[in-house]
Amino acid sequence: MSFALGVVPVVLLLLGFPIFIVLLASVSVALVFFMHMPIAALHQNLFGSINAFSLLAIPFFVYAGELMGRGSVAQRLVDFVQGGVGSVRGSLAVTTVGTSAIFGAISGISAACVATIGRIMYPAMRRAGYPEHFAAGLVTAVGAIDIIIPPSIPMIVYGAAAEESVPRLYAAGVVPGIMLSLMLAAYVMWFARRNGIGAGEAFNLDRFLHATARGIWALGMPFIILGGIYGGVFSPTEAAAVASVYAAFVTRFVFRELGWRDIVEAAAVTVLFTAQILIIVACAGVFSWLLTVNQVPAAIVAGLQALNISAWMFLLTVNVILLVVGCFLDPLSAILLLTPLLVPLVKAFGIDTVHFGIVVTVNLAIGLFHPPFGMNIFVAQSVLGLELKSIYRGIIPFLVIYLIALGLITYIPAISLGGMRLLLGLN
Amino acid sequence: MTTRILEHLTWFIERVLAYAFIAAVALNFLNVVGRYLFGATLLSADELQIFIMVFMTFLGATVVAWRNQHLRMDVVVNALPLQVRRLIKIVELAAIVVLAGFVLWNSTYYAKQMFNIGRVSDMAGVPMWLPHGAVAVGFGLMAFIGCLRLLEILAGRWSDGNKTGTGA
Repeated sequence: MSFALGVVPVVLLLLGFPIFIVLLASVSVALVFFMHMPIAALHQNLFGSINAFSLLAIPFFVYAGELMGRGSVAQRLVDFVQGGVGSVRGSLAVTTVGTSAIFGAISGISAACVATIGRIMYPAMRRAGYPEHFAAGLVTAVGAIDIIIPPSIPMIVYGAAAEESVPRLYAAGVVPGIMLSLMLAAYVMWFARRNGIGAGEAFNLDRFLHATARGIWALGMPFIILGGIYGGVFSPTEAAAVASVYAAFVTRFVFRELGWRDIVEAAAVTVLFTAQILIIVACAGVFSWLLTVNQVPAAIVAGLQALNISAWMFLLTVNVILLVVGCFLDPLSAILLLTPLLVPLVKAFGIDTVHFGIVVTVNLAIGLFHPPFGMNIFVAQSVLGLELKSIYRGIIPFLVIYLIALGLITYIPAISLGGMRLLLGLN
Repeated sequence: MTTRILEHLTWFIERVLAYAFIAAVALNFLNVVGRYLFGATLLSADELQIFIMVFMTFLGATVVAWRNQHLRMDVVVNALPLQVRRLIKIVELAAIVVLAGFVLWNSTYYAKQMFNIGRVSDMAGVPMWLPHGAVAVGFGLMAFIGCLRLLEILAGRWSDGNKTGTGA
């Protein structure tokens, strides 16, 4: 059995097979050659894994982000943040961080953030005298905040895989996301001061109000999503659908930038993205079921307990594993492959599964821009025409900041759980 | 000729799924509006949305397969020489044909049983062989695409154009 559930997936993954085929091969070999189960269990679990209302939040949020990412939403957000930042040192870099954080509360798709915010802010920073490697590193690294700040697609997938509540995960992601944004903002301000980069234009109330008026419709989206969920008005799936309708209304009728064809086109993009992810969810569901019926997680828990390692050591080990995995696999695939194995261990160590969900998300967010293969590196390279050498050099300080934040989030659960309790009104 | 037919077929599937998805968004939104404004909801809406998602997953996967966009970790394999990659691709396509064919057989049997007993969904009354059949059709088309690609590669025609990453 260890051949089917251990050797087969690792070998096929390394050979570059599609991830859903890796999982399907593993479960088919186990079912046909090693188990005495009705083969119909394969179909029942494939279908049953997708037959879940909560998973609808994935395509709905992707669609809302896809609609808002087209047109001038990013520019409106940049103008709003820049108007509020005023004349602090490194105002353009701070604007990049702030805009990405707000974009994260609208879209939650990291690559879209790097592409749309990067296109606006990278040339502006270069014109203002920021070194190439710094501007390249910042726009590449800052997009990772998007999957930490709700709405976050990886958190929905983790919630489905770990059977954890999405509203709790979203609430737990708010403070780590803000903390990370503040840490990045503090660093870029320090960098600007140290390198003699001038301050931006002084704060002007009229300009700020004008920018706010232009951006108010885009800024309304996070209020609808988070306000709707935590005000008890909608479930996360309903909030995502309402956000989609809001995004279609704003981009079609308020900004008058999208036609009906664009709205259908965005739906087609969403369909393909959904199929890419949910086919893995379906196969991972069967894989997870097989792990459980063969008591694999229980055996690993027993093995770890025999080694007598502490929760502290366990989290450190998991962080290292996730960072390495995140360098090679996209966050959603990594979550689907590892969560069924890790969550039983997490529970055995008495670690909160919501806290662990945030640790997983931050780890895999780092993987999005971690050299050498982080996906956002290649997005920045292709969209902004940057050299890899320049991006790699520029990323390092931001990588260090993310790692410090990861350490804090991992070992101070109150950062994620405190925010969650506050937002949910728990004691 | 077969390539052109598949190109049109996958485009058609993508468009139909896109409109069906918009309908799912509308259904969900109307249910929220109905609940707060009229105190009434469409009871079958949740089931219909889930079935649309099932179709998006399994039929959408055929479009993704046709466009070589299924997620994979190709960092290691890309570092290998072209001849080795070609060999691995042959093994991969053969595995896809066998595994997708296995699911096709399994799911067809299940969908047929649903059809024979006349099972319908609890709320919307949708014949259950339809969503279950989507699994069979999706994997059947993926097996067919895998077959086609396998024949192409064995005939010496191969473009190494995989894409990775979700951007999420």
